Amino acid sequence: MTAVAITGIGVVSAFGVGVAPFWEGLVAGRSAIRPLARAGVPGVELGAEVPALDVRAFAHTPLARRIDRASLLALAACRLALADAREPLAGVGPDRTGLVLGSALGNLGETEDFLDRLFERGTGIPLVFPNLVMNAPLSYASIELGITGSTAFVSEGEVSGEAAIAWGAGLVADGAADVCLAGGADELDGVLCEVLRDARAFAGGTRPGEGGAVFVLEPLARAEARGARVYARVVPHPGFAVPAAVHRWPSDAAAVAEGLAPLLADADLVVAASNGRAALDRVELAALRQALGTRRPAVTALRGAFGDFGCAGALAAAAAALAIAAGTIPPAAAPPAHLADLDLVQGEARRTPVRNAVVNALARGGLCRPVRLEAA
Amino acid sequence: MTRTVAVTGLGVVSALGGNVDALAAGLLEGRCGIAPLRLFRHRGRANVAAEVPEELPGHDVALDPATTRRLSRADRFALAAADEACHDAGLDASLRRSAALYAGATTAGMRETEEAYRRRRAGEDRRFRVSHMLATPLSTPAAVVSQALGVFGPRGTFSTACSSSALAIMAGAEAITHGRARVVLAVGSDQLCRLTYAGFDALQALDPEPCRPFDRERRGLSLGEGAAVLVLEDAEHARARGARVRALVAGWGTSTDAHHVTAPHPEGAGARRALEAALAVGRVPAQAVGYVNAHGSGTRHNDEAEIAVLRAVFGERLPLVPISSTKSQVGHCLAAAGAIEAVATVVALERGVLPPTVNLRAPEPDWRDLDFVPRAGRRASLAVAVTSSSGFGGHNVTLVLARPGAL
Repeated sequence: MTAVAITGIGVVSAFGVGVAPFWEGLVAGRSAIRPLARAGVPGVELGAEVPALDVRAFAHTPLARRIDRASLLALAACRLALADAREPLAGVGPDRTGLVLGSALGNLGETEDFLDRLFERGTGIPLVFPNLVMNAPLSYASIELGITGSTAFVSEGEVSGEAAIAWGAGLVADGAADVCLAGGADELDGVLCEVLRDARAFAGGTRPGEGGAVFVLEPLARAEARGARVYARVVPHPGFAVPAAVHRWPSDAAAVAEGLAPLLADADLVVAASNGRAALDRVELAALRQALGTRRPAVTALRGAFGDFGCAGALAAAAAALAIAAGTIPPAAAPPAHLADLDLVQGEARRTPVRNAVVNALARGGLCRPVRLEAA
Repeated sequence: MTRTVAVTGLGVVSALGGNVDALAAGLLEGRCGIAPLRLFRHRGRANVAAEVPEELPGHDVALDPATTRRLSRADRFALAAADEACHDAGLDASLRRSAALYAGATTAGMRETEEAYRRRRAGEDRRFRVSHMLATPLSTPAAVVSQALGVFGPRGTFSTACSSSALAIMAGAEAITHGRARVVLAVGSDQLCRLTYAGFDALQALDPEPCRPFDRERRGLSLGEGAAVLVLEDAEHARARGARVRALVAGWGTSTDAHHVTAPHPEGAGARRALEAALAVGRVPAQAVGYVNAHGSGTRHNDEAEIAVLRAVFGERLPLVPISSTKSQVGHCLAAAGAIEAVATVVALERGVLPPTVNLRAPEPDWRDLDFVPRAGRRASLAVAVTSSSGFGGHNVTLVLARPGAL
């Protein structure tokens, strides 16, 4: 199996556009949670919103003037990742270039506009409907970037970002693509905030967010041959499922631990999935304890900094890759008290070599999509 | 490629009925499941759809009552088809436990979600009925099948519009050939909802009458709903446990048009690459193909591009290769389409029945040399067939299916 290198990272987050503000913010222990300017509703005042993006900076074709916000977040992350990887597509045919994007909920804002008109007047809006198709971000990005190879759009609830990265890494590892962009994006809006509020999702301090992160993935040998900077390697993993109620977080910590243990055996860093929801935090802590035994790798948890959303795991994976490359672990944001008996990085960033990192990923319905990254 | 991918189980729910036998009978008889829309009121050009009959097939799997109450129609379609497929394949709890599950979905529980949204917007509910919106995530049908049937291997949900479940089948085939799974459930499931119906109608993509793929008078597609599940298995594993091999997934290919968010490439450039890749993966010469289960949506653009691709790949032999559109009978089931049509193609291979293109009165003048299997199914002995799917955004997948021992 071909070793898969991360040679580019693109991030669009509430910290700003690009890796620099994202990483500087995380390492400084800052939080991008602020009063919500766009998506706030009564009872949901705080969250992580991405600043307004310049459409023309990222969408260059006439077709893309109709691009929706969720697609734009994904496209922006793709373009930033490509720029970061310094011409990774040179010499690669468009049909050998892959693209895998993920999203939990897709285009919320225009879906609501469409439904409002449908319920008021009984008709749909023809110009908007193409943007409501779940894979619209994949369509726009493939057109904008001229990618005609193996592509996929995945939707896996809370682990959509991790699933997209894993699928993209698999395409490179299997030889189905010579280069693959992989990651995901989700947007936040007022209706989602209302729904989550009505579901009492914020009781434990969870803060909603939005953003996107994309990796450029390519064979390690090719990356080395072209002198590319390699942040880390992705070890393709197919993921696993555990017993759970369909609409709830898993509760069987032993089953999660059994699947996690091989990945964690020599990990130096765990980026926890913890998001402040008691049921998730409880099962994750128990699973980590069981899987780690007496080992105590560093643990951090970052959703308190960039918010909780479907593709937050893609941002967590970006942070893990940057941690490996920089030898720096950002501190847990809003330190989750339940993780305190592990070696939780708190207060300040920790300078230490990181050889292997695992981004833990748990979704309701019992899907586990951990991503393991290793130093190149 | 060292491992062979076998199909050892089938399950299907469509407008033609709630199991594979009902589908097979409908294919042979040339029944059309497209009828006046009853699920919801719609004001527009079109008012027909291929709805799954009210009386869904039962299933003997257990979910807790709270979960059962919250299942969407798409969840229930997926569950019924998966239950049939697992029984058909003889998968016991142990085999299911380690199986992988790859699914395709485009709207999942949108029908229930849009109603909860409407009620809240209209002031009929003071809060969002969150319990009615739990089936919104597209990963829900896969989670339902996983938890109800105890399938705990790798799991994934693809959403590439109308090629979603064809991609799930391809993902399953690759998982088997690369040794990541021995048994895979490939699932496609979608339900009709107001958003999808109004959207396609707003684009003027719906035929006001039941769709007429390849007909000179065709005016668009007819939406449908349903689910299909194929149990894919390492052929050696299937033989060792004495499972019946219904067909082989001999080849698969995918491509992306990078052309337009809704329209296919006018010459079908991407669809052609997917077909050629599928034949190459399976080392299947084009002349071995005896039947094409086309994407055949019935839109002017799709059918033109698709026939152009088939002429380019099959050349002068194309008039000898029957081509049909199962969408003329079960409608366009979006994410479920690829899997339903794969099941129809396996039925064709296994039972020696060419699925028809119903509602076809007069093909395009330039296509009069082609055999679209009009009106009703036809008996024929088939060895190798292809089934193609193309989705919004220019995502194409082609599968090559073969009778065991044919290649």
